[in-house]
Amino acid sequence: MTPRIHLDAVGVTYPNGHMAIDCISATLTGGHICGLIGMNGSGKSTLFKCMMGFLTPTTGHVTINGGAVAQALKHNQVAYVPQADDIDWDFPIIVDDVVMMGRYAHMGPLRIPSAQDRAIVTEALDRVGMTAYRDRQIGALSGGQKKRVFVARALAQGAPIILLDEPFTGVDTTTESTLIDLFQTLRQSGHLIVVSTHNLGSIPAFCDTVMLINQRLLAYGETTETFTRANLEKAFGGMLRHHQIAPTTIHRDSDQRSVTVLTDDERAVVFYGDDDNWDLVETPNSD
Amino acid sequence: MLTTVLEPFAYAYMTKAIGISVLVGITCACLSAYITLKGWSLMGDALAHAIVPGVALAYTIGLPYVAGAFLSGGLAAISMQIVKTKTKLREDAIIGLVFTAFFALGLLLASINPMAVDIQAIILGNSLTIPDSEALQIAGIAGITLLIIGLKWKDFTSVFFDLNHAKSIGLPTTALQVVFFTLLSATTVAALHTVGACLVIAMLVTPGATAYLITHRFRHLLMLSMGLGGLTSGLGVYVSYFINTHPGGLVVLMQTGLFLLVFGLTRLLKRPCLIG
Repeated sequence: MTPRIHLDAVGVTYPNGHMAIDCISATLTGGHICGLIGMNGSGKSTLFKCMMGFLTPTTGHVTINGGAVAQALKHNQVAYVPQADDIDWDFPIIVDDVVMMGRYAHMGPLRIPSAQDRAIVTEALDRVGMTAYRDRQIGALSGGQKKRVFVARALAQGAPIILLDEPFTGVDTTTESTLIDLFQTLRQSGHLIVVSTHNLGSIPAFCDTVMLINQRLLAYGETTETFTRANLEKAFGGMLRHHQIAPTTIHRDSDQRSVTVLTDDERAVVFYGDDDNWDLVETPNSD
Repeated sequence: MLTTVLEPFAYAYMTKAIGISVLVGITCACLSAYITLKGWSLMGDALAHAIVPGVALAYTIGLPYVAGAFLSGGLAAISMQIVKTKTKLREDAIIGLVFTAFFALGLLLASINPMAVDIQAIILGNSLTIPDSEALQIAGIAGITLLIIGLKWKDFTSVFFDLNHAKSIGLPTTALQVVFFTLLSATTVAALHTVGACLVIAMLVTPGATAYLITHRFRHLLMLSMGLGGLTSGLGVYVSYFINTHPGGLVVLMQTGLFLLVFGLTRLLKRPCLIG
């Protein structure tokens, strides 16, 4: 079955009256990577929490594979990769044990791993290149390695839907490209992957669709059509660093095309062209 | 020589005291492995003080003291929740406020009716004077706690480590947390009689804290903590026979001594954790 998340007029108002998101509707189906984009406080995390069933929308509802979110969780349909801030890195637990937790739902009530569970954990660690670190306490890893451990846990869980909250924050470029390669392989095998990220520069390289939100849904569609300068400016307002290099600086002739660089301190996104006709420029991934 | 070493075991009350103390020590240490990781250490202390008025009242009107303990522990938890939601006070201030008030009420109740309650026994505890009926209650609480944690320790670890992930794989996280707190309260009550309300906190913190400095694998930490807790609790009561001291104090001092020893070793080896 193709995994599917359906958002039907989802809105969340917190008890203090703050409206975090309002009336967001969209359908995401499998074999596809969706980038969830918005500035801090845009309601990205709230929307994620609704998809994970941590929050019940105050209006509208979320359905996963045609059923309620709680049902989907029970049937191990959704894996979640948390932000680094949400984890206690001093917890006395080693990499192997963290990834094994992804298998708990497949085990009996005493959570005794079978040979198959162990094989799946080893394979998951292999896929993120962390086999050599399996006996390390999690706090003794670099930022990128930490992230890969939690991606391995999601892989071990074997869920067709994977939600990743800011997977590229604080990670090295090796990890970033390992993860992007991995997401693309997973997409091929029919997974639905939703990634919330600030890392605008990497989005065109691997997201099939993008969803831009700022309390409301601003735009949702194919990356080639939706990931536009106008939409990004709408999503981020004045919050992005915005550099425009004037046509006269880069051309000696009357060419009116300019370069626009948008960044929020992570990898930048670069547009080249005039107002009506522009191209995304592939930027090298380097630190 | 051998007769001297075995002498305490010639007395039924000593054998019982050592047995109960070891059982309570293991159970407290088992929970300490979890609560020291979550910053909940003071909860055990607060709980231990909050149950004093309930115990005093239960003695006065002739109820089992476990019932009184649960009643006032629950009341304290509810009061704390009310103050927390209705004011902007910080949690430590609320804990300090509510639980000391309960403790003061306990002292007052005990002084009004001094014959019925041995307040000394509640506050300081004494494993040497536990009546058989209470020894049975304590053994029951310890047995159930160890059984539940023994069967479900991985689920509890998962909830303590990453609550959201535990939810996302469909674990009954709320039920697990409620069960844990119930076991914690029950164990605190059981520990009252061995070390008393003042020292329960040591039993619920020190073994876990010591084990944390020895290993970074939770499975090992849990077993080490239980081993340390059981060993010191038995040895403390045993040694107190010879030097004629309060057993609770000795148990806690031994646990602290072990902690200092391990802490010293980590400093000497310049590593955060002895193994690994």
